[in-house]
Amino acid sequence: MLEPRTEPAQAPARNAKRGPRVIRRGSRPHTAMLGVGAVLALLVILWGGQLDPFNQGQLTRVAIFAIAIAGLNIATGYIGLLSVGHSAFFGLGAYTTGVLVVKYEWDPLMTIPVALVVCLVVGLLVGLPALRIRGLYLAMVTLAFGVAFPEIVAHFDDLTGGAEGMTIRRQQLRPPEWSGFTLGERSQWVYWLCVVVLLIVMWVVHNMVRGRYGMAMIAVRENEIAAASSGINIAVMKTTAFGVSGAVTGVGGSLFAMYIGSLFAEGSFTLLAGITLLIGLVIGGEATRSGPLVGALAVVFVPYYAGELGQGQIAAVLFAVVLIFVIFVAPAGIVGGIAKAVRKVVVVTPRIPRKSEGTQQS
Amino acid sequence: MDIFLSRLFSGMTAGSIYVLIALALVVVFRSSSTINFAQGEFALFTTYVAWWLTERGLNIWVAIPPIIILGFVMGALAERFLIRPVRKRDETAILIVALGLFTGLNGLDGWIWGSDEKVFPAMFPSGEDDYVSVLGARLHYDSILVWVFAAAVVIGLTVLFKRTSLGLEMRAVATNPESASLCGIKVGRILTISWGLSAAIGSLAGVMLVPTIPPGQLNLSSMFQVLIFASAAALLGGLDSVKGAVVGGMVMGIGLAMINGYATFIGGSFSLTFALILIVVVLVVRPTGLYGTRRLERV
Repeated sequence: MLEPRTEPAQAPARNAKRGPRVIRRGSRPHTAMLGVGAVLALLVILWGGQLDPFNQGQLTRVAIFAIAIAGLNIATGYIGLLSVGHSAFFGLGAYTTGVLVVKYEWDPLMTIPVALVVCLVVGLLVGLPALRIRGLYLAMVTLAFGVAFPEIVAHFDDLTGGAEGMTIRRQQLRPPEWSGFTLGERSQWVYWLCVVVLLIVMWVVHNMVRGRYGMAMIAVRENEIAAASSGINIAVMKTTAFGVSGAVTGVGGSLFAMYIGSLFAEGSFTLLAGITLLIGLVIGGEATRSGPLVGALAVVFVPYYAGELGQGQIAAVLFAVVLIFVIFVAPAGIVGGIAKAVRKVVVVTPRIPRKSEGTQQS
Repeated sequence: MDIFLSRLFSGMTAGSIYVLIALALVVVFRSSSTINFAQGEFALFTTYVAWWLTERGLNIWVAIPPIIILGFVMGALAERFLIRPVRKRDETAILIVALGLFTGLNGLDGWIWGSDEKVFPAMFPSGEDDYVSVLGARLHYDSILVWVFAAAVVIGLTVLFKRTSLGLEMRAVATNPESASLCGIKVGRILTISWGLSAAIGSLAGVMLVPTIPPGQLNLSSMFQVLIFASAAALLGGLDSVKGAVVGGMVMGIGLAMINGYATFIGGSFSLTFALILIVVVLVVRPTGLYGTRRLERV
């Protein structure tokens, strides 16, 4: 479970024949591997930038869901607060953007920080019960939260459009002047925006989990009492983690509003959406940094290809089968499973500390 | 008065359904200390099968025994082959398998029977004129039927737990699986039976639920709300108490009927939010519910 050290994405093929081998972090081969990975990632992003609108839209969705799942990963993956109803944060972010743009004519870009703050506050509030309850019971609370969200949206129908939904006019989603995109190239603009935000989120999460805070989170997940006795303030950890988790997922929701342009609480933000996020996380790999991305690929493309086989319901069945299969075969998800396999071939060890410098980011 | 009574009656009818699903949750929780999130979807699946059987010309009464057996088999198989292999690992794994069952069964229903609404046959004449008048309020026959069934299940479960050796073994496993196992009880078998029993109760609830709870038709989301209400009921009463499930279910049913009837100033239906708030309050103020037993945790 606890493996923040290896870089799962690149190494395996090249070293497959030579057997296990040790690579020191920061050494030349390691830097080269990271470089190759970065170049590959950049190529994929550029390739996505010139795709036709439909396929590019699919990639945009992947980025959005990766952000949302990365948020969920903070609460559920790293600190072990199982949340079934993160769809509510996703929806809350989306509706924050929607309401601000439609009713108050804000610039869409400016609504992202607002969505972040709103979801952070609500996340802190919803996380409060987590101080006294956990596991199963907390899942129960989040489940009810996820189910209740569409009802709350329907209740404030003068603000949210209620059951009829809310449409953001195309004009209002015009890319800003400085980006150089015209209104006709809106899908490109949203794509780049989502990719950039995703990169920022991944970078933030990376730093968060590699630092003291991340170690503390994992300690809480593994054994609360032991963590508390090592001086970790469990109450603060849990509530802030839930708040941050909600905030990141809310940012995903905000981007989703810009991408999709019309919001239906009964369609996009139901409990099933929350379960979908959780499924994405488990399939990708809990408590791994690239798991959310892999999970998002599954969440976007499994329904798409399953849709070709028959009705959309098949996607749900397929998800369930994949989910249970993953739980049985690779409890740490696809990324966790790959990382474990890679570790048999190549091991990355920490660099030799020189003098008394602090650990550096690689 | 008559309006109050008719609201009370409809609340009690809905409450009886919540009691049944809450009991199903309690039976699983008592033996294996988990909430089965897929409980509602087990029931939904068997309800679809019941609908399908009646479409084939079977009387709904004839269709009930086979689907109860089907429910039992499904629950038992799910425990044996999906839950048991992961139960040693951790709570999260069980929850995730249950969520997998949740989406999987829901998708399966839609795949086999389509996502359009189905008109479900009533078990009792439930037309406009089929009622007895109680102080001016209409008490429909199907409401009485639901009450009778719920009461029968409650009595049956109480007898099972208190009077039979199987019930004794189930209680022993619930209290302490290790000691139970040392006393020669086959813990695994008891767990499988509990899950089967729970799903069987759910199947019965499912058949009665569709005609009595609005919108009165069978669709893929029939069970979501019911599961939330029943979970809130079970939590309120205490997750391991039969008595708690009965009290909790009735409080939920009647309370919601009264709130929707009288507290119109809240505007529209806010029932799920009510359930959410109830769940949070119960968990924070009194995590064991009204009648639940306190569980100690050793470091």
